[in-house]
Amino acid sequence: MALVSNILTQVFITLISVVGVYVLTGLTGMFSLGQAAFMAIGSYASGLLVVKGGMALAPAIVLAVLMTTLVGYLVGYPVVRLRRDYISLVTLGFGEAIAALLNRMTSLTGGASGFTGIPRRTTLLLAAVSAVAAIILVAFFKTSKYGRQCIALRGDELAAKAMGINVTRVKMTAFLLSVALTAYSGCLYAFYMSYVDPSGFGWKKSADWVIMVFFGGVNSLTGSTLGAFILSALPQVLRGLQNYRYVIYAVLVLLIINFKPSGLLGEWELTPRNLARTARSLGRKFGTRKETH
Amino acid sequence: MFLGEATKQMSLQIVINGLATGSVYALIATGFALIFNILKFSNFSHGATMTAAAFTAYFLVAAKGGGLAATLLAAALAGALIALFGEFFGFRRITLKHSSPTYFFVSSITLGTLYEGLVTIRVGSNFYNFPSFFKNPTIRISGLVISTGDAMMCIISLVALILLAYVIQKTRLGRALRAVSFDRDTAQLMGINSTRIIQLTFVISGLLAGAAGTFLGIKYTLYPTLGSLVVKGFIASVIGGLGSLVGAVIGAVLLGLIETLLLSLLGSGYSTIATFGIMLVFLLVRPQGIAGSNIQEKA
Amino acid sequence: MKKILALILALVMVFALAACGDTPAETPAEEPTTEDETPASEPAEEGGELLIGCLQDITGATSSLGMSVEAGARAAVEEINANGGINGMTVVMKTYDTKGDVTEAVNAYITAVTVDKVALIIGPPVANIANAIKETSEGYDVPILGFALDPQCQMREDGTTYKNMFCLQPSATTQGEIMASFALKNGLETFGILYNQGNSYSLSLLDPFIDRLAEDGVTVDESLIIPYSASDTDYKTLLQPIVSANVDAIYCPNYTQELVAIVTAANELGYEGKVINGLDAAPSFNTIYGGDCSNIYYINNINTDDPVTAEMAAAVEDSVSAVNKYFLGYDAVMIAKMCVEQAGLDDPAALISAIENVTDFEGLTGTLTIDPETHMPDGMGMFMYTYDNQTPVMLEEFAG
Repeated sequence: MALVSNILTQVFITLISVVGVYVLTGLTGMFSLGQAAFMAIGSYASGLLVVKGGMALAPAIVLAVLMTTLVGYLVGYPVVRLRRDYISLVTLGFGEAIAALLNRMTSLTGGASGFTGIPRRTTLLLAAVSAVAAIILVAFFKTSKYGRQCIALRGDELAAKAMGINVTRVKMTAFLLSVALTAYSGCLYAFYMSYVDPSGFGWKKSADWVIMVFFGGVNSLTGSTLGAFILSALPQVLRGLQNYRYVIYAVLVLLIINFKPSGLLGEWELTPRNLARTARSLGRKFGTRKETH
Repeated sequence: MFLGEATKQMSLQIVINGLATGSVYALIATGFALIFNILKFSNFSHGATMTAAAFTAYFLVAAKGGGLAATLLAAALAGALIALFGEFFGFRRITLKHSSPTYFFVSSITLGTLYEGLVTIRVGSNFYNFPSFFKNPTIRISGLVISTGDAMMCIISLVALILLAYVIQKTRLGRALRAVSFDRDTAQLMGINSTRIIQLTFVISGLLAGAAGTFLGIKYTLYPTLGSLVVKGFIASVIGGLGSLVGAVIGAVLLGLIETLLLSLLGSGYSTIATFGIMLVFLLVRPQGIAGSNIQEKA
Repeated sequence: MKKILALILALVMVFALAACGDTPAETPAEEPTTEDETPASEPAEEGGELLIGCLQDITGATSSLGMSVEAGARAAVEEINANGGINGMTVVMKTYDTKGDVTEAVNAYITAVTVDKVALIIGPPVANIANAIKETSEGYDVPILGFALDPQCQMREDGTTYKNMFCLQPSATTQGEIMASFALKNGLETFGILYNQGNSYSLSLLDPFIDRLAEDGVTVDESLIIPYSASDTDYKTLLQPIVSANVDAIYCPNYTQELVAIVTAANELGYEGKVINGLDAAPSFNTIYGGDCSNIYYINNINTDDPVTAEMAAAVEDSVSAVNKYFLGYDAVMIAKMCVEQAGLDDPAALISAIENVTDFEGLTGTLTIDPETHMPDGMGMFMYTYDNQTPVMLEEFAG
């Protein structure tokens, strides 16, 4: 039971980051390879505020998320003005720089030895509620004016501009929302693990999140959520396979990209109406199948 | 003045070290830029291709007593084969379907994970060192130290890059390659088999990856995550201008020099941060890079 | 319709994999160390089984260390079982892979203590992993016999110990001091230091060395203490000022792979002084480096002049990459045996107290006495080595 609750907590924390990536990559078509660095900033900032600043948990988290978002704004300023190819590279460089900085500021962060002594406050319930709240928030964002503008500019930036969409601003909004979500997930992570070290926040982690989004369906929030769930639980179930798990993971994703490039769920979202429609078509399909046989 | 002489000597040495580093970066960056040039995406599997090729050459040739030339050849061939494999399983279908560049991105990262995973299965996290290929590990010229490996690397990189430039600029093949890079569909209509050309580009990129992997292995020992140095190649090609081969080489040499200089001035850690800063400035001030490139923003 | 199918497919896949995951015995057994359970070589007469966990980095960056500890622990388990087990119980060791990742380590730890309910755990030699599990471990009564030489893995800032966390090799402080004492004793006076600021092992050995030198009035020039990070590729430029200063020795407490590159770079720069290293310059450093290692000095847990140790070391040389970690793993299991025999398994507090009070345990890695205040060895010595070209030479033992 402790194991299940532990894994679920971790999956929920990852989920918050992944829906953040969905906003950025799924909705807006931008790739960030420095997303995990924002998680690092969130966890270090909140941890430091509580341990060294003596703050209470809630205000520390709020402040940490705000601080990370501010850093996000500084990075985002050039990012949203650049060609898309460059975004992944700039964020990648940013991630490396943050890791170097965390290692360098030994007196504050403990450097490579990591930062210990953070109180353990994140519970399964807190993680679950946070994840659900994050998903709902993103679902609302997707259907809002901003979300529709994001989708429009992902498809065709020039056309979106011509339609009067303020491309830079919409991109920035999406970027900051994803940064804030990732930072929050970092806070939960710090207060769950009670220990953070700089090694776990490299570009590989950001890339993993992007892959999760694609795995489930880059155009579908439901799909991305599902992708995050499956792929972050997968290494746990594959525990016995040791070295082979990354190979299996990679082959699965390659299969999906080659044969079902829109991801497991494609555009499909879990809404009451879609559910009813799918059920109906399912019934019809089975009906017709019977006739043909 | 003695001190002045010593300082001069030291800065000259730093320039030499920087050039050595820059020439590996150049090999990485050109392989990376070739693929960007033709398919317009950043090939994140390039690093793992380097590692896998270098390990293949190590086990098949170097560990059995083969010399540098044989090892390099084996690595280059292995790199080409791996790149062909990647092109077929990772990129062929997406290319034919004209999918969005984002799929290339995900596919290349996944391929990288796959190669790295396979290498890890074979070697665990052990690491290996190429046997020393040179009788004299260093060449000394009036107090300056040049490692034989670095010198060989500079020369071989230079030869490889000149050869590449010749192929691209002067041969039919190169013209076809440039045509496909400029506009794949039109090139296809003009009778160029664009799939074949893309395959060929991957082969060349793989050859370069193999050579780069071997040199990295000689310089830093062989280990499964050696390929993460590819990041330097990325940064170099951003500075030089994404997709431009000349730019990639200039960017790489420049990056090597800047890094070495920063390293000796600021020390480690801050030099990483400064490199990032330089990249950002370049992107904001001159987003097309040093060389500029012919890639237009696709509407 | 297709979506539902895809969804079902995905779920089926996960469950199928879950089923596979539950049968670790299917792991291809190319390397004996990755097998999950050791069957008893000779079934003990009575008393059932004693399950112990071995929480190590079997994959990931530091797996060569983890696999060496695991191999040593396994050898000890087999030996114990061949001699009738512990209190008549057959010892079964199960290995849990931390994947060199702090989050995974917590998962692996919880699996060990809640699902399999192991009696005790042979812990990792990596401080970051120990740091990650120390807080979680407070919630259970399963002692962890580990090797994390950073004192904060065993102790809180207020000086109290984590009840389950133990370190069975001399602390970073002791090791750094021993290396410094060795340098002073051999009349070395000027030093350069090159350390990896992204590696906790490297970092933890820095200050003890400098402080010990300072006690004897030897200071290391600030400009010659040079940090580097994993993304640095140019050791020559980093080493340049140290080599130019013509120091007596470079202190270089780094992992083997970086060490090979650093020593190569130093030689290419024409450096002729000594290089003092941590545990990671022990063999197989010499074979990987391939050149003349006569100017390399390193610290080690084991004494290969001792015939028993030498024989065991020779037997595993080819299959184990970090021989000293093999002996640490072996000794840890032997200490576990002694404590379980003393305290039994019924009362976890008694077992922990038995470990806390280990005194003068004669192991292959030296004589070990645990300090109950720190959960680390008290006064445990280590050995300084060098190479004669490629052959390791034991120089002398230093007390802790």
